[in-house]
Amino acid sequence: MDWQALALSVKLSFVTLLFLLPTGILLGRWLAYRQFWGKSLLQTLLALPLVLPPTVLGYYLLVAFSPNQGLGLWLVNTFGATLIFNFQGLVFASIIFNLPFAIHPMQRAFAAIPREIREAAACCGMRPSLVLWKIELPLAWPGIISAMVMCFAHTLGEFGIVLMVGGNIPAETQTIAIAIYDRVQSFDDHAAAIMSFSLLLFSMLTISFTYWLSARSERTHD
Amino acid sequence: MTDSGIHITLQQAAPIPLSVQLDCKSGELLALVGPSGSGKTTVLRAIAGLYQAQNATIICQNEIWQNSVQNIFLAPHQRHVGLVFQNYALFPHMTVLENIQQAISHLPKQQRQTQALELLKKVHLEGLERRYPKNLSGGQQQRVAVARALARQPKVLLLDEPFSAVDQVTRRKLYRELLVLRESLSMPMILVTHDLDESTLLADRIALLHKGEILQTGTPEFVAAHPKSATIARLMDQQNLFTALVIAHDQAKQKTHLRWRGILIEATYQEQFAINERVCWMIQSANILLHRRGRPSNGNKENPLQGQITEYMESSGLAHLRVQVDKKLDTTISINVPLHVAKRNTLGLHEEIGISLLSEGIHLMPYQILRNES
Amino acid sequence: MKLSLLTKQLARSCFLLMLLSPILRAAEIPVIAAASNIKFALEEISTAFHQETGKTLHISYSSSGNLTRQIQQGGPFELFLSANAQYVVQLYQQHKTLDRGQVFALGRLALLTHIGSGLILDEQLNGLKQAQQSGQLQRIAIANPEHAPFGIAAREILQKQQLWDTILPHLILAENAAQATQFASSGAAQVGLVSYSLALAPTLKNRVRYLLIPGALHQPLQQTAVLLNNAGDTAKLFFHYLLQEKARGILSRHGYTLP
Repeated sequence: MDWQALALSVKLSFVTLLFLLPTGILLGRWLAYRQFWGKSLLQTLLALPLVLPPTVLGYYLLVAFSPNQGLGLWLVNTFGATLIFNFQGLVFASIIFNLPFAIHPMQRAFAAIPREIREAAACCGMRPSLVLWKIELPLAWPGIISAMVMCFAHTLGEFGIVLMVGGNIPAETQTIAIAIYDRVQSFDDHAAAIMSFSLLLFSMLTISFTYWLSARSERTHD
Repeated sequence: MTDSGIHITLQQAAPIPLSVQLDCKSGELLALVGPSGSGKTTVLRAIAGLYQAQNATIICQNEIWQNSVQNIFLAPHQRHVGLVFQNYALFPHMTVLENIQQAISHLPKQQRQTQALELLKKVHLEGLERRYPKNLSGGQQQRVAVARALARQPKVLLLDEPFSAVDQVTRRKLYRELLVLRESLSMPMILVTHDLDESTLLADRIALLHKGEILQTGTPEFVAAHPKSATIARLMDQQNLFTALVIAHDQAKQKTHLRWRGILIEATYQEQFAINERVCWMIQSANILLHRRGRPSNGNKENPLQGQITEYMESSGLAHLRVQVDKKLDTTISINVPLHVAKRNTLGLHEEIGISLLSEGIHLMPYQILRNES
Repeated sequence: MKLSLLTKQLARSCFLLMLLSPILRAAEIPVIAAASNIKFALEEISTAFHQETGKTLHISYSSSGNLTRQIQQGGPFELFLSANAQYVVQLYQQHKTLDRGQVFALGRLALLTHIGSGLILDEQLNGLKQAQQSGQLQRIAIANPEHAPFGIAAREILQKQQLWDTILPHLILAENAAQATQFASSGAAQVGLVSYSLALAPTLKNRVRYLLIPGALHQPLQQTAVLLNNAGDTAKLFFHYLLQEKARGILSRHGYTLP
């Protein structure tokens, strides 16, 4: 078991969650409540990572952030930083790739709250931020947790993009999925087997937990 | 000079057409009545601030809640409004007590609890503090919704068809409770309903809404007896609505003569309609007298008609009759009599009876095409 | 809703700020890009280096072509160990390196097959020819000639033995030398034309049979080390270490010929 790679993967997942939690809540909520021009276009864009091959996204990220031209060059000149071959780059790619996994369940969770309940809260004198805190979040939390768990598991297993924009650098971009690939290529089947089985177990736990959560939320909503 | 009522004007062409002007005094219960789709709920939501009409003025207890000209619009949480939703909209993840306390969260904990318990008592729900909404009956949920609305100490109480989701027995109980409760309330109250009987029972005044426009306001009895148009009469569920021709006015005797499908009838003097003008007219069942068999009386003299009972139905202590006064033209009049009167006069299908139309009950309205008459 | 939009914008700006501020690594451990065929030899050398100097290295393995591309795109590498000289020349011409680099070993190829296979391994590849003609040959793995020098050499050998066209339909192109070895050693491919040093890997000891291919059959695989523009002191130290006695001994044991 490559603990360094595992720690890196876990760190990547948590940092991704840190950014996706508020973004997912605000975006998911906004999409659930509002109708506006261009909404379907936005929803299509947000759903793209679901069907897009990771290599396509990896390719576009490489092209966009390669420090020799365009956006990548501007980043180097302005901030002295890059978004490829480092942890920040993985975080950035991971956030984009997990957007639909974060937003869709949260959007559904917020949409499931009857509009009248939010309105009743407003009529009770609650300003919008309080309505979010006291009414919406307590009712939507199973969907939110479910989204976060899915994002965590999905990031843990992400391979294609990490391979393309990460560079397989130990302690920086060598996540556990890459490490497994690496071990296989080093003919270390034993290590590969242990890591693969651990991830398999973890994925099963994640799915079961998500199902349990959605069953539980159905009960409270009756 | 303080004005503790609410004054509303709403004008807009699209997306929902509205042409509304309403005033409601404190302590007064105004019913906003109309068929579904007439815009009643939209008006209520506009008052609460949940809907922003384009040209509107809403002033409640001297507070400007909306003024389109001055670009003022207070959000719902800035208005002290109590709204009872049609499906109650109770917070499912909170107990009954917590639901009510949301409206008084600015108070310290002890006071919050005491006040909430008091309100629960007021709506006859003591003992149910810890229950969750899903474990309450429809009637209980409605009472919690009312308590929560009142906890806000609202400047206006709004009720959106609050009785529509419960059965008839519960509904009657809730009517009685509301009538008692409102005695202790000093704010204007606006009730939205499509049920005419409910509005007659509960409201001091009604405002009739049709396709976003207020057609008439007044006490329920007055609007029922003196609708300004045949459309309003229809909306008030008037059964006896016909057309006629004005033949003559008799100012001395204070009568207006009409010809109705060949029959001459006398109404009270209504000079605003010209001679030879076609009109619509209506008469309420309460203004139709039954000729008692074997015992003629003076009342029989006003607009007497003979006819045959073509429909006879009994329900809730009343007999509902349709009397055909002209076979050729199939002209029928609707009349309701107490059941015991029907029994005493041995009324039934195909029986011949005489009726009198009291002229003071014959109300004239401008002519419009009626669907029931050929 | 206005409040939520504001909060959202705030979150976004914080994120971007965090993301783009250069993150200082606690201890600056240099990253080395190394062609995957040199893996086992390099691990040993790196350990010896650590024992002698106390310094650590991070090594990223891939095919030489892939690593070249990454360096061109600004990868954080300080030293590049390529499986041939051409990629280093390319980088030098693009001003990514300090100099033209130095050949530190010569790579060799081997025929490798899973221990259970009945395939005949011989230097002229006749056994292979036979198997192909009799229809017994299913798959043969080599590294992808597009970006792996060992793949280029493998193709060279096959072409020289007039086998390239007939063997083409059976060819499996692995991503790099290590993957080619993995395919052949696991039996996924019947046979592989792979890096000799990988065939010698201790973990493969009783799982494979292999045969060293004569160096005359292909262009020399000049394993070239070059310091990149941002090379730090540790990287420079390691570069020199690679050319010394101890490292050379390790390389020799792992099947490399020394220049």
